[in-house]
This record gives sequence, C-alpha cells and structure tokens, in this order.
Amino acid sequence: MLSRLSIILYSGTDDKLIPVGVIAQGAAALGMDVQIFVTGWALTKFTKKQSNPVWPKEFENMVPMLMEGMKKNNAPSWVEMVKEAKSMGAKVYACSLMASVMGLKKEDFNELIDDVVGVATFLQQAEGGQTLFI
Amino acid sequence: MSTAAKKVVDARGLSCPGPITNLTKAYRDAKNGDVLEIWATDPGFKSDIKAWIERTKNELVDLREEKDKIVAIVKITAKK
Repeated sequence: MLSRLSIILYSGTDDKLIPVGVIAQGAAALGMDVQIFVTGWALTKFTKKQSNPVWPKEFENMVPMLMEGMKKNNAPSWVEMVKEAKSMGAKVYACSLMASVMGLKKEDFNELIDDVVGVATFLQQAEGGQTLFI
Repeated sequence: MSTAAKKVVDARGLSCPGPITNLTKAYRDAKNGDVLEIWATDPGFKSDIKAWIERTKNELVDLREEKDKIVAIVKITAKK
C-alpha cells in the first residue's frame, strides 16, 4: 500500500523542526512516499551557511530541559532524522519563490535539498495524499 | 533455493521512530519466510509495530513485553 505524505515546512524554529524530522522518518519507515516542501523561515535552516538553533521566545527557558531530555532518550537531531527519511526515499524541495525572495540559489542549499521547485510541482505531487503545514 | 533466515534487530535504547526505522532497513534485505525479531525499549513501539504490520501486510507472530524490553517477532510474507 503506497500512500503519500506531504509536509509544507514553513517554521524556522527548532521546536517545530524536531516533529518534522520524527514524522518524516516515521512515515518513510512505514513505506510512505514522503516529500517535504521547505518554504518561509524554514529555508534558512537548509543553507550551507551554518545557522544556530532558533527557539520561540515564550519557551526559551525550557530549552535546556528539552535538550537534556532529547539526549537522555537518545533522540537524534532533526537533521539526522530528515537524513534517515531521505535514506528511505523521502524527498526535500525548496520553494523557488521564497528562495528567490531570500536571494538563495540552488548551490546555496545544503545536501538535504533535492531540488528547487515551484508550488505547482509540490501540489501535483501532493495530490491524493495527506498534507501537513508545519 | 535459499533457506529462511532469522535475524535479531536490536533497537533497544532508540527513541521513536528509531525501532521501526531499523526494522524497515532489515526488511529491505529480508525475503519471504524470514523471521525478524525486534527488541525495543521505546514505549511507543508496541503500537508502532502493529501499524507497521498493518501497512506492510507482513505477519506479527508474537508481541510481548519482557522485563527489560519489548519483543516483536515478525514473519516476512509480503515481499514482492
């Protein structure tokens, strides 16, 4: 049974990137056809330029506890989880409009990005499956 | 003809979705008739293995909770 999961990844804060990694890896392990369409602030997390983790202000004081818990539970980073998902067939695309708006070219993105595509490509591939906006 | 194999997938200590990921990786190299025994400590694994079985249409021979781990025995039947 092949089914499709499409994630529109908009948020650029690490608290939202973690569940994207978990869901993408889990869906790929279930044999689902997974695609992640990276747009908005999230694009800044997929460039070759190293970026520091970003957390939402209102939960910032809980971050040390979260990181400690992640470590204690052997939870990999969201990047590692996206890599695992990709090793099982998931695809990651950068939104061409937002890439242009931010002045980013294909070569500015890191190895997680498979291609830079337009919204029509994404919608076409998402058709008939589940779509999440995160 | 090759004979059926039995393989242990030790996913103890891995958090969700590590155990089903390792199972999927082992599944890639498996053939029909093979038996995979998965060990996990993630509490979500008990329901996740059922979801994996439902989706992939393989056979769950046994699922039990031991003192220090959850053990699932999966018979591979749905390889194409």
